[in-house]
Amino acid sequence: MAVYKADAIVIRSREYGEADKLLTLFSRERGKLEAVAKGVRKPKSTQRGGTQLFTYADFLLYKGKSLDTVNQVHPRESFIHLWDDFDRTIAASGIAELLDISTTRDQPEPELFTLTLGFLFLLKYVDPYIAQASYALRLLNIHGYLPGLNNCVECGATVSGTQAFLSAEAGGLLCSSCKNNETVTMLNGGGLALMRRLKSVEIDKLDRFRWNKKMRLEILGSLCYFCENKFERKLKAWRSGSELIV
Amino acid sequence: MDYLYYPQALSDLIISFSRLPGVGPKTAGRLAFYLLQHSDDAEQLARTITTALREIRQCTVCGNYTEADPCKICAGERRDRTVLCIVEQPRDVVALEKTREFKGIYHVLHGVLSPMEGIGPEQLNLANLLKRLDNVKEVIIAVNPSVEGEATALYIARILKPLGTKVTRIAHGLPVGGDLEYADEVTITRALEGRRQL
Ligand SMILES: [Zn+2]
Ligand SMILES: [Zn+2]
Repeated sequence: MAVYKADAIVIRSREYGEADKLLTLFSRERGKLEAVAKGVRKPKSTQRGGTQLFTYADFLLYKGKSLDTVNQVHPRESFIHLWDDFDRTIAASGIAELLDISTTRDQPEPELFTLTLGFLFLLKYVDPYIAQASYALRLLNIHGYLPGLNNCVECGATVSGTQAFLSAEAGGLLCSSCKNNETVTMLNGGGLALMRRLKSVEIDKLDRFRWNKKMRLEILGSLCYFCENKFERKLKAWRSGSELIV
Repeated sequence: MDYLYYPQALSDLIISFSRLPGVGPKTAGRLAFYLLQHSDDAEQLARTITTALREIRQCTVCGNYTEADPCKICAGERRDRTVLCIVEQPRDVVALEKTREFKGIYHVLHGVLSPMEGIGPEQLNLANLLKRLDNVKEVIIAVNPSVEGEATALYIARILKPLGTKVTRIAHGLPVGGDLEYADEVTITRALEGRRQL
């Protein structure tokens, strides 16, 4: 039987069969993979730890006819800080979900792998939702979808904060005269300025950023709409997360 | 698929079986053929399913499966109503009852928060919980230890704390018969946090 190694993060985990789990892995070498972890819902399984959601581990996988199976798993990092904090779990779910909907299976994306791993670590030190927003902008950039946030992407006019409209169709900001009948989300001055910073600031400086609830909902809402439109899938964790944030 | 070659009613039966958790298409086919060959068993099964669906409901107080509403535990006179234990599934109530250690009352969530699967607080049996806390001194959260289980526990703690209710989380650690050597980082950390003096 063909066996292969994967250095991977568990980005989704669903109950499968009697005691198994169906895992979605994002690996450094091969991109997104799916694999069944057998018996890991039993208390004595030695693979329990390595197959938990968001765990980063060395996997040894069997190539199966329809589904691959986990043969061995050695956890490298469990990200305990995610388990201890509700907001970090919600933000990590948003990160994992966005990675999932924006990628296809067996397509190596080493840059996205590094980005995701870095941000799972970063959640320990940064406002989780700031991290989620900054991650989304960087992921869009890697996919070539980074929204134009400087001038109106249609006419080039300077866009002032009070009238900034983000359009997924147009791929960035529109001024009030270009927005016409397009579906847009509105950003106020502070939100727009912060978004510009979050896309490009060095990640070790993200811990300096703060925002209020209004700005957070505005930016996460805009990014959610933008990503859903670009990748043509719903972002459930982003939507349910915004209802849960107190 | 094979079942395209079968009569409609038979392929419907196979499809129904294959929707069950843990049943693949092959097993589904085997079950369907077995029932056709053993009509007594099949009729018995059909009756049992119909009866269960008719008789079993969720207790309107705790959410556990029951024939009488409220359930035996909620109606029980000897239960300690000052301690309420929150669990994920009805089968967890059974697991706790079997220990005979817990004398309080239960609340069954029917799941945990799972943002990526779109399971939020509205999908869980949470609204009823807030109505039950009048005499409760301690809420024990006994959902399973997973990231999503922890998130659910933290969320419940967050909504209950302002009400002044004491909220505790059951300790997690090494399973009996488990080997420290094979345990993962989260399990060992949790086991250390839950240590007790000897
Ligand atoms: Zn314009
Ligand atoms: Zn009850």
